Order: sequence, then C-alpha cells, then structure tokens
Amino acid sequence: MEDKEIRELFAEYNDKLDSVLSLNKASIEKMKLNNTKKQTNKILILRSIEVVFFLMVMIVLGKFTADHWGVLHLAVSGIILYVFALIALIGSIGEVALAAQIDYAKPIIEIREKIEKINMHSLLFIKLAFLSAPVWWTYPIVALAYFFDFDIFPHLDAAFVHRYIIINALLLIPLIWFLKKLSYINMHIKWVRKTINILASANTKKAMEFLNDIEEFKK
Amino acid sequence: MEPTKKEKFISVIDEHKRIIYKIVNSYCPQREDRKDLEQEIVIQLWNAFDNYNPKYKFTTWMYRIALNTAISFYRKEKKWYQKNDFFNDESVFCLEDGNNVEALELSANVKLLQEFIQKLKELDKAIMLLYLEENSYEEIADILGVSTTNVGTKIGRIKVKIKKEFDKIKSHGR
Repeated sequence: MEDKEIRELFAEYNDKLDSVLSLNKASIEKMKLNNTKKQTNKILILRSIEVVFFLMVMIVLGKFTADHWGVLHLAVSGIILYVFALIALIGSIGEVALAAQIDYAKPIIEIREKIEKINMHSLLFIKLAFLSAPVWWTYPIVALAYFFDFDIFPHLDAAFVHRYIIINALLLIPLIWFLKKLSYINMHIKWVRKTINILASANTKKAMEFLNDIEEFKK
Repeated sequence: MEPTKKEKFISVIDEHKRIIYKIVNSYCPQREDRKDLEQEIVIQLWNAFDNYNPKYKFTTWMYRIALNTAISFYRKEKKWYQKNDFFNDESVFCLEDGNNVEALELSANVKLLQEFIQKLKELDKAIMLLYLEENSYEEIADILGVSTTNVGTKIGRIKVKIKKEFDKIKSHGR
C-alpha cells in the first residue's frame, strides 16, 4: 500500500460523502446556541474555591505563627505548615491561570498540555502529603494548640524528639529524589507507573499518560 | 438583506461539513454518541465564531476547535465541554442512506482505512486526518503546534504502520 493508494482511498471516501452528506440545518436552528456561551467553566470555579481556601488557611497559620512567635516549636511548626499552604496556593493559582487560558482555537498540543496538567492536579497534593511526612508532628502540634490551646511538645520524650528529627532529616533527600521522579516524563519507568497506579486517581493517571504521549509525539 | 450571524454560521458549517463529519466518525467509535459530539463541535464553533481572526485560515481555526473538542470528548473529559442540556435528539449531519456511516457503500479498503484511523492514538489520528485532507505539512504543524519536521516524521511512521496493517490483512486473505 503506497502513499498514492492511501490518498486515493481517502478521496473515494470524500467523493462518497460529498454525494450523500447533508447538513441538518433545522437541528442547528433548534440548538439555542445563544444560551450556550454563558456556560460557566466548572474547573475555573473549583480551582478558584481552592485558592480562596488556601488563602484562608494561610491567614490562620500566619496569625497562629505571629501569636506564638516567642515559643520556638510552635512558631517553627506554624511556619512549616505555612510554607506547605503557600505551595498549595501557588499550585492552585497556576491551575486557575491555566484554566483561564484554555481556548480551543489555539494549537492542539498547547491546549492538550494545559488541560492534562490541570487534570493531574491531585498529584501536587500527593507530593505535598509525602513531603510533609518528615514533619508530620507539625500537624498535631499546631492543631492541638490552635483548637484546644494545648501545647503537647513539652510532654514529649526529649530522646524520642531528637531521634525523630535526625531520622527524618536523613529521609529528606531520598524523599525529594522520589518525589521528583513522580512525573509524567518518567511514566516509562516501571516503579513510577506502579506508584502512580497506587497513589493517584484514575483521572490523574490518565492525564499523566497522555502528557507522556504528548512528549513522545513531540520527539 | 445582510445575512444574520446564525445564517453565516450555518453556511460556514455547511461548507465544511465533510471535515467535521470525518472528525466525529474518527473520534467517536460509538454510533450513539456521535450526535452529541457533532452538536458539541457546532456549539464550540459557534461560541468562538465572533473571535475568529480572518488573518488566519478559516480551516486552521475550525480544525483546531473541532479536534480539541473531539479529543476532550474521546477522553471523556466532560468538565471541558458544554453541558448536554442544550443538545437535542437530532443529528447535525444526515446521510442520504440514513444516519449510518457503516451503511455507506464504501470499498473494503476504505472501510479498513477508516477502522485503522479510528484505532490510532488521539494525536496520531489528528495528524493523519489532516494529512489525508490534503493539508500541507506547514498547515498541519500550525494546527497541531509542532514543527514541520516533526509532522513529516510522524506521518512517515503512521504510513509505515498503515502499510503493515494492510499487508497483514492481505496475507490473511481478508
């Protein structure tokens, strides 16, 4: 089958369509086209709600840190959680910016990349959850102090705290390496694919695979 | 009397119906979903109609919108397209011999080519449709947003696959 033959087959298909295909104008007339423009983009709304949520979390954490500035472990815990909330906020703002740029009249690859990056948004939260593992103690410390005005830190065993800090500090570098690997460009690596299968939703996985396909397509 | 926006729009869709019809058939393997995709593409084109910049080729603009819509539909990304509330039960396109593309009297090889295009990955499908519609490499690159070299390489690879597929079928005596 040569190129010329393929084109001839397609020309045959075109000729056939030209002779039998017609537009059902009545169907378009019935479509209430003028109303469709007002449809709101659900994604843009959801991500905007996320931005507002993380902004509120940052305000609360900022106030918490300022109120406990004199108590080292509470201030440090507050700052750590503030940084995590900031990363999540930046991620969500990025998504809002991407969603606002979706215009189907733009080149296909550009639009698909933006859509799929938004679709794999939950990966950011998975990464943040992993990244916060070495400092998980900040969550109960801040939560107990904020909601119950109870400082648990002085009640902890000092040897346990030291051990915990050293072990988690050692874990930080391999953890960062692991999280960097969890990217769509590494979907060809078996363990990355398996990890994504376990941790991420079906939609995130689908989006990552498609982004990987796009990378391949661009080669 | 000057035609209304809707009249102009309908005439444009009529002029390019074959392209939209083929995109729908390539991205929608389920016959019962095709009506939805046809209407979805028409709605997206209508919503973007006012923003069309005549500086660019009309078909480039139309291909981008139709293919982006079809890919989202194919990937079942419902959040990226309009709600079905505006849809009706009628097909946008009609075939003389009933609304059934399978009923078209096409040669076995044309049907095989159609089947083959349907089986391609989303982006390969787009590139092949654009190529077979006689678009130049430059136009295809512009619609997709890749380099012309990339377009050439991709088309070459897909053609090899098509050739192999046809050869395989011939050798099995289908």
